[in-house]
Amino acid sequence: MDLTDRLIGSSGDDDGCDREQRDRVDRDTDGHDPGPNHRHERDGRTNHRTAGGTSVHGVAGKRVFVSGVGGELGTTIAGLLEAEAWVGELSGIDADPPRHRLQRTVFHRIHPDEHDRIVETVAKFNPHVLVHVGVWEPDARAAPHAAATLTDQAATSILGAAAECSALEHVVVRSGIEIYGRSRGALTRPSESAPVAPTSDWGHTVAAIEHTAARVGARVGVTVGAVRLAPVLGPHVPSPLGRLLRQPGVPFSALADPPFAVIEDNDAARAVVAAARTGLAEPVNVVAPGAITALQAARRGRRVPIPLIGPEWRVARALSFLLGAPIPDHVSEALHRGRLADNGRMHELLGFTPQHGTVDVIDRLYHWPSIIHQPARVQVA
Amino acid sequence: MTSTLGRVVNFPVRDTATRAGAVVSRAAADLNASVTRLTDEQSGVVDDWGRDPALVRAMITAARMRWDVTVGGDQRLARRKGALIVVNARALALAPVFSAFALSEAVDRPVRFVGRPDTAPVGAFVRRIGGLLDHPDEVAGALAAGELVIMGAEHDQRLRMVGRVDHALVGAAVAAGVKVFPAATASSPIGRAARLEIGEPSRSPRRRRGPLTELELADQVGRDIGLLLAEMGDIRTGTPLDWLPLSAIGGA
Repeated sequence: MDLTDRLIGSSGDDDGCDREQRDRVDRDTDGHDPGPNHRHERDGRTNHRTAGGTSVHGVAGKRVFVSGVGGELGTTIAGLLEAEAWVGELSGIDADPPRHRLQRTVFHRIHPDEHDRIVETVAKFNPHVLVHVGVWEPDARAAPHAAATLTDQAATSILGAAAECSALEHVVVRSGIEIYGRSRGALTRPSESAPVAPTSDWGHTVAAIEHTAARVGARVGVTVGAVRLAPVLGPHVPSPLGRLLRQPGVPFSALADPPFAVIEDNDAARAVVAAARTGLAEPVNVVAPGAITALQAARRGRRVPIPLIGPEWRVARALSFLLGAPIPDHVSEALHRGRLADNGRMHELLGFTPQHGTVDVIDRLYHWPSIIHQPARVQVA
Repeated sequence: MTSTLGRVVNFPVRDTATRAGAVVSRAAADLNASVTRLTDEQSGVVDDWGRDPALVRAMITAARMRWDVTVGGDQRLARRKGALIVVNARALALAPVFSAFALSEAVDRPVRFVGRPDTAPVGAFVRRIGGLLDHPDEVAGALAAGELVIMGAEHDQRLRMVGRVDHALVGAAVAAGVKVFPAATASSPIGRAARLEIGEPSRSPRRRRGPLTELELADQVGRDIGLLLAEMGDIRTGTPLDWLPLSAIGGA
């Protein structure tokens, strides 16, 4: 029995999240709703309702909890949520501090393996909406094995803790289009209804997150939305694909050179916020329009394209690793088999359209400045 | 963590409101498709399905040396909507391929064809020139996005006979809510003259609620192509080869 099972199985008797309280809230909401203003009064929170500022939940002043708020994507999401009128209190958790200054987000620095602290923090906050973006892409900020472990720990602890909260209404999880896999005969542009058949470690990881979230949602009766993001690129986003494409020489499959699509970090953050706002209750692919191949990307960035056929990929991976741009299996898969997804339902479900197409994002990737060394104003040593 | 974890994810079924949203989304996709013009496509990139416009233009130029295709009936295709066009095919005639190239030029829109393998390098090359996998979901995705898709009936060795039409792919068109057009092709293994004639959209002879719709529609498409072939008559090369009954010249 993992932590999620233990947490869900014991629901009802924990401090602040008892069944009686949950039933009372349900009755208030379903049968004799005293109205949002009364409910907020009772909870002692400020109503931030403005014209057009309520979510589909119909109530302003929601408590939103963001896991993974220390990452670039999480920080951007928190920043966007702060500007949302339907959001009341905002809290976040991560192993690292946020990348930007956040105005009204309460940040908790907790490592994913500190289950008890996570449960205590989440249960105390008692969120209405949980946005779970605390995932570690392999070779982005952690080695593949460590990334999988951290992601699993965070998903289990945070989703399990959220399940214990009586006010919880909606969960949004970050997923990826790697969930569809790229086995032989796999669809070129899988839609959300395509079977989940991951063929990479990262794909298995996001499938497990969706599975855990769906199980939690089914057991506690809340809606769960999964935002399946294309590879996320941004000036400060640690991305193995972005690092690889920015190297002086870019390897590509000479026999296939398949197309892939990406999404910029700001667009990805907007999509996640839209999913929280609209109460997304199913998976949705979030992919920038258009596609590009590794060879085309290298040409646009004026990099040296290095054609590879087969055995030399092993050498290329080792060299790339030494140069600081390791190639995890899901990136290798994208370079050999492509990575596209049907984004036809994105606007319908989220009311959201990416500001940047795939080619645009790749062009911007090559325009982002490299590390700028600033000399010290005062030499102290 | 096992590979079976993700297979049990069950999300709530969409309600009527979201289905209505899907119709709106499809309409938006149709509008987007109308923006894409063959002449406006960017070089140096591929489109959403991995089709390379520059390579397609080069292939169209090269194909002109092999086929001189006369296209008829293209005015029947909606300008902004997707459509499935079913053509008759003879072994090694590459009817869906030359039809896609010719129709692309005629309607100034990207036209995709069904039947690419999923192995490199052939599959990768065919994807670059507009090939789609022979899979109903793949075809349905393209049609729902407002694309024109050509598929071939099964090969039939008998002259001017139409092979079986894959009802699963026709079902994809039914699911995507687009029309299915029969089209007759005629080409010669020794000459350049070729023809593509698109007929009126096929309709299922009976209104059905279940999967019989696609079965009967597929059969009807086959019959409609046969009628179009009969209307086209024989191709004449102007040589004594026309006198031979089994010269392999003709549409089927």
